Order: sequence, then C-alpha cells, then structure tokens
Amino acid sequence: MTARAESSSNDRPPRPSIAARTEFFERIRTEMGKTRGLFSARPAARPPRPAEAIETVQRQIAERWRETAQRFQREFERVGGVFHRAATIKDVPDVIGGIARERKASRVVTWNPAALGPDLGPDLVARGLCVDVVAGGNPGDVERARVRGVSAVADLGLTGVDVAIAETGTLVLRSGAGRPRSTSLLPPTHVAVFDPTALIESIAQLGLLLEAWHVPAPADGGWGGMITLITGPSRTADIELTLTRGVHGPKEVHAVFVEAPFRG
Amino acid sequence: MSEPDLAVPLRRRAEQALGDRFLRRALDTATTKFLELRRESFGDFPEGETLRDRAREIKEATLQALDRHLERLVEAIERRGGHVHYATTDEEARRIVLDIAKRAGAKTVVKSKSMATEEIHLNAALEAAGVTPIETDLGEYIIQLAHERPSHIIAPAIHKTRGQVAELFSKALGRPGLPDDPEVLTRVAREELREKFLRADMGITGANFAVADTGTIVLVTNEGNGRMATSLPRVHVAVMGLEKVVPTMSDLVVFLAILARSATGQRLSVYTTLVQGPRRPGELDGPDEFHLVLMDNGRTRQIAGTLREALYCLRCGACLNVCPVYRQIGGHAYGYTYPGPIGILLTSMLNGPGAVKDLAHASSLCGACVDACPVRIDIPRMLIELRKEVAERRIAPWTERTVFGAFARVLERPALYRRAVRAARALQRPFARQGRIARLPALFSHWTKTRDLPAVAERTFRERWAELAREDASGSGTRP
Repeated sequence: MTARAESSSNDRPPRPSIAARTEFFERIRTEMGKTRGLFSARPAARPPRPAEAIETVQRQIAERWRETAQRFQREFERVGGVFHRAATIKDVPDVIGGIARERKASRVVTWNPAALGPDLGPDLVARGLCVDVVAGGNPGDVERARVRGVSAVADLGLTGVDVAIAETGTLVLRSGAGRPRSTSLLPPTHVAVFDPTALIESIAQLGLLLEAWHVPAPADGGWGGMITLITGPSRTADIELTLTRGVHGPKEVHAVFVEAPFRG
Repeated sequence: MSEPDLAVPLRRRAEQALGDRFLRRALDTATTKFLELRRESFGDFPEGETLRDRAREIKEATLQALDRHLERLVEAIERRGGHVHYATTDEEARRIVLDIAKRAGAKTVVKSKSMATEEIHLNAALEAAGVTPIETDLGEYIIQLAHERPSHIIAPAIHKTRGQVAELFSKALGRPGLPDDPEVLTRVAREELREKFLRADMGITGANFAVADTGTIVLVTNEGNGRMATSLPRVHVAVMGLEKVVPTMSDLVVFLAILARSATGQRLSVYTTLVQGPRRPGELDGPDEFHLVLMDNGRTRQIAGTLREALYCLRCGACLNVCPVYRQIGGHAYGYTYPGPIGILLTSMLNGPGAVKDLAHASSLCGACVDACPVRIDIPRMLIELRKEVAERRIAPWTERTVFGAFARVLERPALYRRAVRAARALQRPFARQGRIARLPALFSHWTKTRDLPAVAERTFRERWAELAREDASGSGTRP
C-alpha cells in the first residue's frame, strides 16, 4: 500500500498517512498472533431490539411513575440537586421565576422551544426576566457567536431533559439544533424541565437507550455531537478534600418535574 | 515542568517522603477517605461484584479482538467527520498534537485532566513550540502553577495544604492576600479559568473510554472542565491509549456503573460526556474539528507480554488508596507519571523493566490492590514476574543478585541449609536481641535500617522435629 500525498493546505486539518495506519495495525496483529491459551471471553450481550426494549421499559414506568419520580428525587437531592414539582407545564414559569428571584438572577438563556417542548419565553418575560432564546434550525455563525456571548453572562440556563435516571439522580441531555451544550454549563444555575416520559430506572436501562439512539445508523435529524450525563452540580475536592461546588460548571442544578406530560 | 529527579535513589525519595509530616497526614486522610467512600458505595450495591467480573471479561474480550474493535472505532469516528491519528511512541504523539495545533493556529490550549498527556509530557512540548497549555482541573491547575507533578491519579494535589494553595494563587495570579478558604480559592480558579476557556483555540483531553461501535469518546469528570474543553474551543484533540476502546454502548454502561464508585465512591461522577465527532449541522456550539490520537507507547508489546492484564486498567486510583506503600510515601516518591501499585507496572510498560528495578520491590505483595481493583487486575502476580525479569536480565543490583542467588542455592540443598543455619546462629550472636536483629554491619545495614530481621531460632523447627522423632522412636515419648 502506498501513502497518499498529504494535504499541504494550511486550513485543512492534518490527515494521517495510510502508511502510519497500516503499520500501527500491523504491529497490533503481530502481537495478537503471539498470544496463546487465552480463556475465551465475551463482551456484554447486546439487546437485539433496543428501541423496542426501551420503549417497553418507559411505557411500564409511565404507569407507575410516582415511585420512579420519588426515587429520582431522593437520589438527585443526595447528589446536591434541588428538586421541584409542578402539576402542569403552566405552573413552570412560576417555579422558574421563584428560583430566579431567590438568586437575584435576571438573565436567562433557554433552549429553543422546539427542543424544550413548551415556549416558556413570554411567561418568563412577564415575570420580569430578561430571556434569550437560542435559534433552532441551522442558523450559522452570527447566531453561534451571539449564543456564546449571552450564555457566558446569563445567570440561569434553561434546558429540557431527554432522560432522567432514577438510580443515580442523573439528567441526560443530547446536544443538537436549538439545544446548545453551553446552556447547561456556563450559567451558575441550571434549570432542567421534564415530565414522566423522561424517567428511566437504571444505568442498565441507559445502556438500552444508548444502543437505541445509535441504531440503525446515527440519525442526523438535528442531533448533535454530544450526549451529557449530569449528576448534580459541578464539584471538586482538590483542595484538602474539601467538597466545593460550582468549580467550572453550575453551582446549582434544579430539576423541575412536571407531573402532566407535556412532550409529544 | 520539573522532571522527577531519578538520580536520587528510590530509598532516598521514600525517606524524604516519610520525613514530611504534613505529606503523611495528608496522604493518610485522603487515602482513608477514598477507600471508605469506595467501600460504602459498593456496600449498598450488591450487583457490584458481578459487574466487576463482567467488566474484567469485557476488557479481556476486547483485547482478544483489539484490531477489529480499533478498526471499527476509526471507521465510526471518520464517518462522523472526525480524524484519527496513530502514535507509536510518545515522541510521535507529541508531534501529532503540535502539528494539529500549528495548523489550527492555536496559541492557547485548555486541557482537561489526562494521564495520557502527562505520560507523554505534552505540556513541555507545547510550551517549547510557543503554545500555552492551561491545565483546568483544579488539582492539575494548582500543580501546574507550582511547577510540580501529580501525586495521585485522581487527586493530583492532595500533597498541598490550603495555606500553600492560597499563597501560590496570591503570588502566581497577582491577587495578594487570598484567604486559605477552599471555597474562595475555588471561586478564584473558576474566574481565572472561565476566561481561558472562552478564549482558548484548542481543547485537549484524554479519554476514559472509546466506544468502537459508535465512535464515541467518553470523558468522566466532576468539575465540568471536560465539557468546557469539548464544547467551547474550535478544535478538540483527545489523546488516548489504544487499550481504552470498548466494543459497544452495552459494554460502556457496565464500566460506568463501577468506575466512579471505585474512584471516589460516587454512583456516577458529576459529568459523563459522550463526544461524537465535531459539531453537527444546527449545533450552536462544539468544535469545528475533532481529532483522536490513538497512542501505543509501549502498550502493544504487552498484548502478548508479562503485563497484559495491566492493559485492563481504568485509572481509577483505587489501588493507590489501599496500598500500604503508597499510603506511606505518596505519588512523588515513585518518580514517574503513574504512581502506586499499578503505576509500577505502567512505568515498566512505558519505560522498560530497567526503570522499575527498585520500584518492583516497593510492594508488600499483600494483595489489597487486587481486592480494590474494579477489574481485579492481579498486580502482585505481575510484580513478581517483573522482579524475576529484572533479576534474569541482570538489571538488578549485583548485591541483590548475589545474596538472593546464594540464598537460593542454600535452600535447594538440605545439608548445606542445615550447616548454614548453624553458621548463622553463631554469626548472629553479637546482633540478636530477643529473637530480632535490629542492626547489621556494612552491606546488610540497608535492610536493618528500616526494619528488623528475625533471628535464627535457638532451636529451629526442623531440629525440634528431628528430636521429637527420635524420642518417639525410642519409646520414651508419651502420646496423649
């Protein structure tokens, strides 16, 4: 095999030579060929139809969501999260208004309504908050720069949740169109809104879901390049093992659980 | 970045550490806390033991088809618009990263804590090339400002007091008079580093796992710096040892369930970040470019080597916390990037067995590390293998080889052994006190300087046994 000519253009990312790759794998295969008498070992069994399996799981949980929500609350509070309950999505602006008032927060950056579910913007503005809504679709560089700017100075970031894991009190957020990574990262307070349809029980079930999200081929329908699992506020214990919150990410994470489903 | 002073022998480095009272207190507090948290978190997790067995098997299964899994990983990453680079040596890994930085026109690089980049001493190379690397994990930031090295895999600055950190920040950041309050110091670091995150051209991270099936790089952090480094700069480079690949998402979740528990006693770390290539259409943040540097650096040699099992390592630090040697001397005394029991094996993997001729003995072989290891790596077995290798290759000091060689010959010959016992009994007379030898002269003083040697008994077991047998035969003994 011959090495392909390397791109010399400066604005193009460097491309590894085919020769380097061939050689790299050759060495691995040579060493693998020297191993003898290994016990045969198997990786984890994969669910044959993960999408159906997780759908069944979530349907079952939807029937007894109160228990799962309670478990989530217990674990979420254990890792330092603040749990709020709202009967319907109409009650959410009051909850967020309350959180903002207590923290003297005025600037809110929020996921696009298409990603969040409801459009809470007008109701939050009505409660005296300054709200920046990020654009959906494929808006381009100007909007990207703006979102970065407003996220860096916002007091509160408002996002949805794709999945909430009860066992660990974890919020799972997928990035994508209208759902920037930085909304749950840069502001000192993160507020995440979700309903019973987002609940799952365990990390094992998350495995089903992660498999389902990638089968058949990664669907490019607006999904981004990052999946984030958030288990409590940002923390460190690097100075004399003293637990301190909000080192780089948010100091506070709020989960607003809406009992009546609002997502389609 | 200061290099370890390997001219100072291990014994001296350990002595220095043992003489540092603060260090010993800090180590004791930290390691005890970590191991208690770990024990608690597995205590209320009955399925943990099964998951550890599963995780171990997955690591082994992955190694058995390593080429295939890596190929799938590469394909999946390239399908998502990422670039994969191949580094056989540490030098190649540095060159690749520098090349990416140069083409991207990067001046400032934010780094999320990564043992892989520590291993290749990337920061010094970046600095030499005019690129400023900024460590953003609070512990790493502290030791970077202090020009030191990490002393623990997951808590790099446990050897520093809050007072030292306050003084360091006051001086290095030009903010005089900072109080020794971790809360305040953490806020200061947040402010300083936030601005760096927003301005940096490039983010460099390691990787805890890479999922072959989906081309996903997984980062586990508590502070959020891993998310920052992969969300804000234009370019993201992940440097990863090739053994970190796992086949599928179903495998990944097995590891996620035990990694944080083993490291800090958390069920999950605060942030688990799954990175899949560069920013996609419609995304408002995330890098334009994603690069994975697949690094060999001595690993491949061990696929069929003595240290194969060390390739299972998750870098959780659990074996450090339970190790009676690490708990006393801490990470710096080991002298290399990776400290603790697993560190000795990794040092040999990276630098050859010559580098661990002394370190291979810095273990009591008590086995606490195997019990703590989430994937049950048999560290003592490999340490013994290493000791053997060091002796056979004549890397061990001649005194050690001579003494143990003679000892072995004596043990193999019963008549010689009996004579040697009698000779030793006569020779030890000036030194033995109440069955122990606390001081020996000349060559042997190294041993007795730090521990006693049990004296040869007045009458050995073999002698008493022979006596009893004689009594029995003559019929004078009475049996109960």
